[in-house]
Amino acid sequence: MKTSKWSQLIACVTTILAITIVLPLQSATVKSSGSETSAARWSIQVDQVDPGTPDLSYSFQAAIYENLVDELKKTKQFQEVFREGDHRASEAPKLLVLKTTVEKYTAGSETRRAVTTVSGATKLTVHSQLLTREGKVVLERTVNGDVRFFGSNLRATHNLARNIAKMLKESSWPDSLEPTAILSVQP
Amino acid sequence: MDCLVVPQNQENACRFHRRAGMGLLVALICCGLTAAAQNSTRQETSKPFSIRATHLMGFESAKSNCTGTLSIQYDSLQFQQTGKTSVHINIGSVRNVFLGEESRQVGGLPMTLGKAAAPYGGGRVVSLFSHKKYDILTLEYVDSDGGIHGAIFQLDKGQGEIVKHELTARGETVSSRTDQSMKQNAAEVRYENK
Repeated sequence: MKTSKWSQLIACVTTILAITIVLPLQSATVKSSGSETSAARWSIQVDQVDPGTPDLSYSFQAAIYENLVDELKKTKQFQEVFREGDHRASEAPKLLVLKTTVEKYTAGSETRRAVTTVSGATKLTVHSQLLTREGKVVLERTVNGDVRFFGSNLRATHNLARNIAKMLKESSWPDSLEPTAILSVQP
Repeated sequence: MDCLVVPQNQENACRFHRRAGMGLLVALICCGLTAAAQNSTRQETSKPFSIRATHLMGFESAKSNCTGTLSIQYDSLQFQQTGKTSVHINIGSVRNVFLGEESRQVGGLPMTLGKAAAPYGGGRVVSLFSHKKYDILTLEYVDSDGGIHGAIFQLDKGQGEIVKHELTARGETVSSRTDQSMKQNAAEVRYENK
């Protein structure tokens, strides 16, 4: 009697464990394969950052641009990640262009953050647009990036780029954005 | 009378020759000096130049946030991480040079942890004094495929201007955007001082 109870308990625990482990794995596999099929053929070109506000220093613009290229490569969502001006982008069969415009920039201070903890945060708000080669807007979002506690001011650009890459990964767009289809939509 | 006139003419001719000779000598000295100056300028610009720098991001395949030597040799700009092989680009590919300034906390992660662990907010007091101003040098250059890169280096205060001067002296395209970078420099300093 005792042994049957134990065996029932073990079976029950094993079943619960199997459900909790296997199900999320299965869904993750389905999700990743789905995103691969929808975006595997797309390449992306990252354009230089439009400062929008004159307050933004060039080092910040360059840092956002460089971090964006790095983060988008890391996600492996796109077949190729091109920089602005890259000749190879014109040969890519399906190309999306990422344009980033800085909307708001709050210059912080690492020393103020270290001394006060609550003030001195560096904040960035950008407007990101994903366009086709012909200029049709596929996706449009406002993304934030900041550094509040530890790290240099430039870390805000890293956080921002990571948020943009995450936003692109979570978003979906129609697979058929062929030039002919776009031309038929536009009068 | 004739006896008086002839020596005067001879004297005038002699003076004329002396003046011409002097003029020629002065011209020769000037030419020599100019040539020497030009030669030294050429030697200065072609002289290898190197400086300690921290690569923050964007310079070819160099690792981010690593310290090394930034050097200029003839027509290439190199960065060599301590104990690693160097990466280089052609100075001709550099389109813009921007110079800024930033104040950063010194000591890195160990210092940050130490300050966080210090009792009675002692770490905050240390933070007040443990910061240093650096020059931030941003280079915009084009790779072999035409793609634009932005490389950011952190240099000791005052050294950014030297690197910028060296780059503008060696690359014609770089010097064309100096004014813009000067404006940028002022903007960066202003915002750091806020």
